[in-house]
Amino acid sequence: MKTGGHPSNRRLRIEFLVSLAILLAVAVLPAIVKNAYWQGVIVVSMYFAMLAIAWNILAGYTGQFSLAPATFGMIGAYSTGLLAYYYNTGFAIGISAAIIVSGLIGLVLGRIVLRLRGPYLALTTLSFAEIMRLVISNSIDFTRGDLGLNVPGIFQDRLPYYYMMVLVLLIVQVGLFYLLRSRAGLYLRAIRDDEIAAASRGVRIVYWKTFAFTLSAAICGLAGALYGHFAQFVSPELGLLQQTGVVISMVVIGGLGTMVGPLIGALLVYVASEFLRDVGNYQLVVFALLVIIFARFFRAGLWGILLALFGIRAPRPVAVAPAAE
Amino acid sequence: MLTLDLLINGLIIGVFYALMAIGLSLIFGILKVVNFAHGEFYMVGAYAYTLSALALGISPWVSLPFALLVGLLLGLVVERLLMRPLYSGYTSWGVMRDEYAVIVTFALSIFLINIVDKVVGPYAYKGPALIGISRITIGPLAISGHRLIAAMVAVTVIIVVAFIIRYSFWGRQIQAVSQNRLGASLAGIDTAKASAIVFSLAGGLAAVSGALLANIFNPTPDVGVFPAIKSYVIVVLGGMGSVPGSIIASLILGVFESFGGVYISYQYRDTFGLFILILFLLFRPQGLFGEKAREV
Repeated sequence: MKTGGHPSNRRLRIEFLVSLAILLAVAVLPAIVKNAYWQGVIVVSMYFAMLAIAWNILAGYTGQFSLAPATFGMIGAYSTGLLAYYYNTGFAIGISAAIIVSGLIGLVLGRIVLRLRGPYLALTTLSFAEIMRLVISNSIDFTRGDLGLNVPGIFQDRLPYYYMMVLVLLIVQVGLFYLLRSRAGLYLRAIRDDEIAAASRGVRIVYWKTFAFTLSAAICGLAGALYGHFAQFVSPELGLLQQTGVVISMVVIGGLGTMVGPLIGALLVYVASEFLRDVGNYQLVVFALLVIIFARFFRAGLWGILLALFGIRAPRPVAVAPAAE
Repeated sequence: MLTLDLLINGLIIGVFYALMAIGLSLIFGILKVVNFAHGEFYMVGAYAYTLSALALGISPWVSLPFALLVGLLLGLVVERLLMRPLYSGYTSWGVMRDEYAVIVTFALSIFLINIVDKVVGPYAYKGPALIGISRITIGPLAISGHRLIAAMVAVTVIIVVAFIIRYSFWGRQIQAVSQNRLGASLAGIDTAKASAIVFSLAGGLAAVSGALLANIFNPTPDVGVFPAIKSYVIVVLGGMGSVPGSIIASLILGVFESFGGVYISYQYRDTFGLFILILFLLFRPQGLFGEKAREV
């Protein structure tokens, strides 16, 4: 089916091109930012961008509000970390394993929470997140608990890590674009907007919801594994609920349910947070406040505000009839 | 007498869980959302109690109502600023309504934890005991004096609140709104006021719970995280929106954790409740005592 002319696809194309431009800008940034510390900051912000993009697939495009993105990042980081620790495997095997392990756990969890919505889904994923974190931090014999694990690095320098992250982000964005403009993308958004209506038109709800959950978890796992090799250290703190809070902040500030939102949200929020760190660790206070303000007054996020400035209608969350009480 | 000891300790912890869970359950009943900042109401109460007693040197028996007042006010402010869009003209919210509630309360929780961390500092303060006697012996049992008195205060508060909700005019309005918001408003009930009362009450109850436990779990900025997670488990176990259900479920969870920590695994005791939560949401979402959701 050719859907190129559909308004939602035109919007998608704009978003895709803008996100490519942003990645290009990030790629040439090291020419200006020569300081290794700030390059490291941008690498970490790209880790969060991957988590944010992955969470956005689930929350923004499929309407499944998970509270576990950071947990899947932690699972990915520990997959490669533990393999390297016990079997001394290389990073290629470790990262592949991270994608597979977190994808599989995502598949199982996605299958389990299939019927749950809204607050119930949030509570279940929150419990899952806490169980995983507690298990990892209490299995001291196996994971060294809160001490964390040392993970071998991949490169000697900062810059190769930097370009590795840019490249992976690029691959994820391109893949996401083709996914969203295909039929699958329409199915996902149909499920988000009205699950019952989508089912009645023959969309395979079980299949696509589980698919979105698995994909999102696998991307988070990949992000976590890359981060683990970059930081050369993983700890259960990667899976703290506050980390998930940061990911959600980024997407809400950037713009939920858009391709640009998570990207600009993560890059801006994280880099800005480094400036705030200098004035005294106020970053989480400021973010939380920003998220509340954005969620309350600017639900389209920064990207929506930007579009509005150029006179383009913001992508609106589709209104459906309110659930009967 | 290990078994009896464990039972009594479990029941006492359960009473404090109940203080938290009742508010959460009422909020769910009336707004159909989970308040992810509930643990921070608890934390603020713990600090209000401890700091007012330590800094002003007032009796803990004055600090306790002060903590209640702070919690009531905090709940009221949060409801007014953040929860109101959930029901004023929310037809335009559509699918975003649940997500809005999760995002805003989750962000509020992070905000409160970190602002307290900045203002008060990350160090633990020891909350004063309500009574100077360190050990009370009843028959074969020895129990800390503060724990016993605090549990008695908690039980009193729970009984008063249960009566208010069941029999008072405001309480009946709250019940009506949780059964059917539209129907209640057609019958002339101010649903916005009912929501404000519920949120305020929930904040107050959580704050009292934090204050009563401040001597046992000394307040730190993230002290509310675990009690909040326990209360999520409890409202799911007891049936979301059911007050008697959450009281009974609190006692069950308290006893279960107390025994599980000894007989199953101490290391993983905090994960038991979370497993219960997941299992219940999957197989019995109406909880032990709740009724099945009725959709029109």
